[in-house]
Amino acid sequence: MTDKKIFPKSLSVLLSIILPGLGQVFQRKYRSGISFFIAFATAFAVTLWYGKPIWFIIPAVIWIWNIWDIVSFPKGKGLVIPLLLWLLMAYGIGGQVTEFNLQALFSNFSRSRDMVSQLFKFDFVQPKAERIEGYTDIQSPCSDFPPAADHEENGVRVYVVQTCANVGDVITVIGEGFWPNQLTTFYWQNPIGGKAMATEATSDANGKVTLEWKVLSIVHTTAPDPTIPQIHRIKVSQSRPIGGMELSAVGGYIVQGIYETLALALLSTIIGAIFAIPFGFLAARNLMTANPVSTVIYMIVRTVLNIVRSIEALIMAIIFVIIVGLGPFPGMIALTVHTVAALGKLYSEVIEGIDPGPIEAIKATGANWLQVARYAVIPQIVPAFTSLTIYRWDINVRSSTIIGFVGGGGIGFFLWQWIVLQDFRAVGSAFVAIAVVVVILDFFSAKIRERLV
Amino acid sequence: MLKVEHLTKVYPGGTVALKDLSFEVSDGEFLVIIGLSGSGKSTLLRCINRLIDPTEGKVILDGIDVTASKGAELRHIRRKIGMIFQHFNLVKRSSVLTNVLNGRLGYLNPWTSTLGFFPADEKKRAMDALKRLSIDDKVDSRADALSGGQQQRVGIARTLMQEPTLILADEPVASLDPVLAHSIMQYLEQLNKEDKVTVICSLHYLDLIQRYATRVIGLKDGVKVFEGSPAEINREKFKEIYGEEAQDVRATALE
Amino acid sequence: MQKYKPFLKALRKLLITIVLVVLIILSIRVTEPDLVKLVSSFPKAESIMGQLLSPVLFDRESEKITVSQMVPVPCDSVPSLVSADSGPRIILDPPCGSPKDVINLRGVELPPNAEISLRWILPDGGLLSIKNIMTDDKGEIDMPLEIRPITTATDGKAAQISFEVTLPNGKLVVAQTLKDVIDAMFVTIFMALIATTLGTIIAVPLSFLAASNITRRGALGTGVYYLVRAFLNIIRSYEPLVLATIFAMIVGFGSPFAGVIALSITTAASLGKMFSEAVESIDTGPIEAITATGANRIQVVMYAVVPQIIPDFLSFTIYHWDINVRISTIIGFVGGGGIGYLLSQRINTLQYSQAGTALLAIILVVWALDFLSSEIRKSLV
Repeated sequence: MTDKKIFPKSLSVLLSIILPGLGQVFQRKYRSGISFFIAFATAFAVTLWYGKPIWFIIPAVIWIWNIWDIVSFPKGKGLVIPLLLWLLMAYGIGGQVTEFNLQALFSNFSRSRDMVSQLFKFDFVQPKAERIEGYTDIQSPCSDFPPAADHEENGVRVYVVQTCANVGDVITVIGEGFWPNQLTTFYWQNPIGGKAMATEATSDANGKVTLEWKVLSIVHTTAPDPTIPQIHRIKVSQSRPIGGMELSAVGGYIVQGIYETLALALLSTIIGAIFAIPFGFLAARNLMTANPVSTVIYMIVRTVLNIVRSIEALIMAIIFVIIVGLGPFPGMIALTVHTVAALGKLYSEVIEGIDPGPIEAIKATGANWLQVARYAVIPQIVPAFTSLTIYRWDINVRSSTIIGFVGGGGIGFFLWQWIVLQDFRAVGSAFVAIAVVVVILDFFSAKIRERLV
Repeated sequence: MLKVEHLTKVYPGGTVALKDLSFEVSDGEFLVIIGLSGSGKSTLLRCINRLIDPTEGKVILDGIDVTASKGAELRHIRRKIGMIFQHFNLVKRSSVLTNVLNGRLGYLNPWTSTLGFFPADEKKRAMDALKRLSIDDKVDSRADALSGGQQQRVGIARTLMQEPTLILADEPVASLDPVLAHSIMQYLEQLNKEDKVTVICSLHYLDLIQRYATRVIGLKDGVKVFEGSPAEINREKFKEIYGEEAQDVRATALE
Repeated sequence: MQKYKPFLKALRKLLITIVLVVLIILSIRVTEPDLVKLVSSFPKAESIMGQLLSPVLFDRESEKITVSQMVPVPCDSVPSLVSADSGPRIILDPPCGSPKDVINLRGVELPPNAEISLRWILPDGGLLSIKNIMTDDKGEIDMPLEIRPITTATDGKAAQISFEVTLPNGKLVVAQTLKDVIDAMFVTIFMALIATTLGTIIAVPLSFLAASNITRRGALGTGVYYLVRAFLNIIRSYEPLVLATIFAMIVGFGSPFAGVIALSITTAASLGKMFSEAVESIDTGPIEAITATGANRIQVVMYAVVPQIIPDFLSFTIYHWDINVRISTIIGFVGGGGIGYLLSQRINTLQYSQAGTALLAIILVVWALDFLSSEIRKSLV
């Protein structure tokens, strides 16, 4: 009690004015001193970064409160008010920089309602149908000598009476050799393959279909210079059901995407687990801190594992996509690398936690090093390793659903394209597929892990 | 003071825990209930303060039908009945003081106590209770930092806060070693003799029964098989209640 | 039957092995691992890694010089302006032209051996890049220039040809990239903070509904229990990034808000699950004891349930904040904002040294928060 009074109060007040918390530390109230310092320093840093002067009130009040606290020593004023102020600042500024705006969720209500209703019209299967197709190339805008817009293939002929098209013209598209009295779809495809216009017409009794089509300026939106003539394509097609159901195009991509996702997850988990085992041993404190050389190795391995673990697999995937190109392979490498780091850490913890009792017991029977490893160490770590690996597989399945966002393969690759193209039916179908697969695998992995324990 | 009439409890699933059980307890008694595990002792005690609802029968305390009451009335009855548990049932992460104050909740304004405020005089009452059980030095410790005997004393202090007229003790010393068991039983005896609190206690050890009980009831499969003074319990009675295979242990307990 | 047991066991092991091998082979076929490509792209990987490992932290300060000259197309469309006679300037010969003409372009008194980006400023203000070119030792360039039809003067305004030269002047300053990265990192941490808070607030009631010892009573309770559990499991099956796409479509791409909402929802689901397990594992003894003292239901929850679960809840929440910071580093890929957005932009524009700065920041922050959160959690138990 007496040595607490050795340090003069007036001096500690002065110290706290200079640096919040310092006076408290000198009065041996370490917790409160450090808390004041952290609260003030972080609040000051955040307001300094954010830059709006009004928020500087918060660090200022914390500073004043800190002075008041040391002045009323030894009773103190507590940390409740500074903590509340700190939270006020964190959420106030945080809400603004993250553009937090619940209204935005509902303001586009009609748009989001259309979108959500589309999301629930799943697109997995479609009625089986047969198709008949034809096309012709056409120049737009017209040059002085446009090539004829006429193409015949497999008995289907498509031609345009006017041979070329300027924006605003009405052209006459004629198709021959189609099924009679059937709805026919017309697509205008721009030079880079985008769908610019679409409409429908019905064929006559002879299988001839005629369409008067106005050329809109939208056909030139992707052209760098709309005054230069380019070759476009008009596609004409019919389709009719022949009974039964088949996977739709989207359904086919989803099956392929899920298949790729599962393959990615399985391979990266298995390869990652194999590589993680040596790292796990090298990063185990109880095995590696016996002499200085191994201690250095231990520290290096730990550091590398921690660094790699802190980078999300998706970020690594971007880099590997650049190095080896698009596809599931770069995604697999990224997931594998992340798996090695994460499992290496977990394995090392298992090794650190093994019971030395059995090792002692087996050694006492006169067993050699290998026998000790086989009968005292491995039985202890194998179930835990297996369980952690299955747990990691679970995480990898989830991660591999997004690795395709950056070109790493799997369902994410298709999902991202559908999102960009705003094909909400396909997006909704992909969501259902992801949920079904992940929930089922989750269930099985939990069951297997329960049995292992 | 307490009348139990034709009490029957059938658990969902068909287990009959109590079968047509009737007895009376008068003021100031120290009633001990004996019987094997599963003979219905715990169920009986919990039917008295309605932690368990009996299937049939009545429990009447000071002329009030406990079995028919509910809501606030039931809570008012409960706060006059203290309960002590085999596993102490303290909130392990709360402090000793908070655990003792918890015994007063039935008396306090529900709103302020919900927010965690206890009046100063209640804190003083809690300190007095802890002093009486001589563990006032542990007032700020977390409950799980205490030994078993100390935890049970906190449990008794919590009961004292209720100013009970009746204490139900469900095997209060079964988790403790014999030396501690006597000290805990002495506290209960003190409450019984000095504060004139009626005690109903379930016990296993014959020496404890003969030392503390004023009356004994024996249960077997939910049926009362014995009622009398502790002096009437001999080896044969014990065997009857506890079964043949328990004989050896009983024998040593008798000596 | 007993006799066959070891045999059956061995058979089961064999079957599992076969299934696993088949699955691996199928996986290899669909994943198409191309080790040759991996090895052959090693030089490329080395160069990228080298740049990533040399993050930009400081910069030489530089100045930008912009020089422009009006070009009337066709010649009489706009009165031609006389160009300056000294200083960095552009000389055109002839000073005007019609579309598809080729004229001569000369730049003089420019810094020697400097990179110049050459471009058209169109009459409507749009920019059309031509190419990047180096000046010679005398600080001059000389090249032919084709006049494109799109540069035709409109509404009395002519197109301009313009140079932009960047010159380092030697002062060492904190790189703009580092400032941007710090900025984005703050946004990322705040995204995690807000998402964790919101998620926790939603998770608490959900966890009680998903705890079998609290909710699973009677037909209604059991129904609610299974419904909430199913909901939590389905939401948990999505990566936050996948959910972020949905919200980005609703609130618009380019704002961190979509990511925050998605992250809040996944946080609510996974914390809801963890919390419910904490609630399920509480000790019922104290509940019984406090009920026996005559306390009402609210008091029982406050004094018997809450003290038991608070440390677990806090510990899980802090743990999840830690996870959320990690996820926030990528959530910007979809919604926009945060360090992930910056990182993906820098990588897509091949600025690997700047991406390295962002990576460094991610590693440091994730590491620091990991340490902090585990220290706090240790003190809670």
